Amino acid sequence: MYRYDTFDRRFVSERVEHYRAQTQRYLAGELAEDEFLQLRLRNGLYVQRLAPMLRVAVPYGTLSSDQLRTLAHIARDFDRGYGHLSTRQNVQYNWPELAEVPDILQALAEVDMHAIQTSGNCIRNVTTDEFAGVAADETIDPRPYCELMRQWSTAHPEFDWLPRKFKIAVSGAATDRAATLVHDIGLKVYRDKQGAVQFDFSVGGGLGRTPVIAETIRTGLDIEHLLTYLEAIMRVYNRYGRRDNKYKARIKILVRAMGAASFREQVDAEWAHLKDGPSTLTDEEIARMESHFVPPAYHELTEDLSALGAQRLSSPEFGRWVAQNVSAHKQTGYAVVTLSTKVAGIPPGDVTDLQMEAVADWADRFGFGEIRISHEQNFVLPDVPIASLWELWQEAQAQELAESNVGLLGNIICCPGGDYCSLANAKSIPVAEAIQREIADADYLHDLGPIDLNISGCMNACGHHHVGNIGILGVDKKGQEFYQISLGGHSGHSGLDASLGQIVGPSCSRADVTSVIGKILDVFVEQRQPEEAFIHCFKRIGIEPFKERIYASAD
Amino acid sequence: MRLLTEATEWSDETAEPMIEQGSGSMVMQPLSEWVPESGNGLALEVDDEPTSQFCQAPLITINFPVFTDGRGLSLAVLLRTRYDFTGELRAVGDVHQDLLHYMRRCGFDSYVLPEHRQLPAADNRQPFSPYTDYYQASVIQPEPAFRRVPRGA
Repeated sequence: MYRYDTFDRRFVSERVEHYRAQTQRYLAGELAEDEFLQLRLRNGLYVQRLAPMLRVAVPYGTLSSDQLRTLAHIARDFDRGYGHLSTRQNVQYNWPELAEVPDILQALAEVDMHAIQTSGNCIRNVTTDEFAGVAADETIDPRPYCELMRQWSTAHPEFDWLPRKFKIAVSGAATDRAATLVHDIGLKVYRDKQGAVQFDFSVGGGLGRTPVIAETIRTGLDIEHLLTYLEAIMRVYNRYGRRDNKYKARIKILVRAMGAASFREQVDAEWAHLKDGPSTLTDEEIARMESHFVPPAYHELTEDLSALGAQRLSSPEFGRWVAQNVSAHKQTGYAVVTLSTKVAGIPPGDVTDLQMEAVADWADRFGFGEIRISHEQNFVLPDVPIASLWELWQEAQAQELAESNVGLLGNIICCPGGDYCSLANAKSIPVAEAIQREIADADYLHDLGPIDLNISGCMNACGHHHVGNIGILGVDKKGQEFYQISLGGHSGHSGLDASLGQIVGPSCSRADVTSVIGKILDVFVEQRQPEEAFIHCFKRIGIEPFKERIYASAD
Repeated sequence: MRLLTEATEWSDETAEPMIEQGSGSMVMQPLSEWVPESGNGLALEVDDEPTSQFCQAPLITINFPVFTDGRGLSLAVLLRTRYDFTGELRAVGDVHQDLLHYMRRCGFDSYVLPEHRQLPAADNRQPFSPYTDYYQASVIQPEPAFRRVPRGA
């Protein structure tokens, strides 16, 4: 993983002191509320319904065991003993004191972390595949290029005051686990036939109240042009993106208003002036970044799976966990393990200080000290020897991190919702909990097969409901919480193109959500062909059979 | 770089808005009225489109309608890097003291702070350069760090 040098450390520590002085001026009454707001957002501090929320950047979802231990300390010393894994691979604290935030940022800086540009109308943390560098289906590790973009976008003089927030996601594998096509810029990175690194650029994707799948505007861009082409896109957006209405200010609205073809022409006209300029990447800089992400010193392990087979037979529960939570690794004898945070009764993505410390210890004992955070709000241990899976599973059970529900209905993606967030129309966490409790039978869940269920408490769509196979959106009807259900959304993994869900019909009350989900699953179970996944079944039979069942009794 | 206060910005004596510049005064005109050969200053809004004629202006002001509007930053970069404007470039309007460092890196060299905004006390970090160095290229440092700083140490 990337290791800071003196340049990085100096910048981050100067940023902490800069923000500390700004906080002191605010507390002394020298900075107005609305002015300090813009500064604190760019340092990760967002005021929610009950308290400030601090969002810590976990660049492209990768962190070290020591960094995770520091996050645990911060949870204990500055918060209420827990943190939250976000859908953008970051870590959030819900109860920090505004005056103490500079001290938290200083603690982060000591382990080469920060909260820069995790909020506000600027370029946010670049996200990627949580299996980057280890996935068996990967063509190239995207993280060196994510780090190049992190450095380029940090305190950019021209692009820190955009019309709206700006999110970039990168994928380097056959399966797009980063949902790139629902980002402001989605990048696909690969090698051409000669082995040169190239990028495909898609722009204008997004969720929120106007969900859009991104349009591809350039393919095969050579890596040395990565930053100059990004600057061309950003300049066109910064100058022409709408600023009169925050709901129409994302780049997707500009791309749609101009049309993708003329947006591309504008970008190309801008790029003609920037191409081959000083921001063109040098071979040395590209090599330097790539050198930070060379594979660790893997041991020569055998392919022998007989012990694992016997362990799976001895415990059906372990067998289910291996089937759902363990993924193929590039390196023989190793596996990628997802530690699910999705346990009924606990808000999806919430983890305690003790859980963080346990995960950090496992990363050291069963790997090379590296941890990932997935956009599905789980921890990932990237380098676990297959021979250690049994031991890890037993320890993970004791920490309530061994739920075998990855890819299944129980692995709900969920925003903080009305319990915490001042934007939310409705609560989301109790809905997730009710579904998890109602459909708790492990055999039934495994029989249902892969289903993505995503919940957002409002149309800002932090829970990615548009791309859930089953999506649930909290809406406000005359002060009452209602829930709108959509079906058939997909974020673009498992060999399917990304697609947006279709709304089934009128929304339902919170009390009815679980019975509606039950009816949807009944239709699926009756109609599915052997081994057919929910999303494939939906694409085959369409929305009508579901509509009929859900609304039949209401007639 | 120069910092002006709002009190010194406009002169009441003439019909044309005046702005203090160097030792003398100068007539400022909006783009719709400005004639390149006039020798007058050019008062731009953030959504004005730059042209190569602008380099004939001795002084250009860019008016920030709100301090969060980043269009003025891109306009400044274009004036400096594409249209080779070498005269004085001044930020006016809703200029914020905590954003001066962005403005400076985008090519501004003078600023009019509204009266209700004061520079932080002298013992605080320099508002024009709170950081020793930056990652990216800018108008005042055309080379990104990776081209001029040994990294990795």
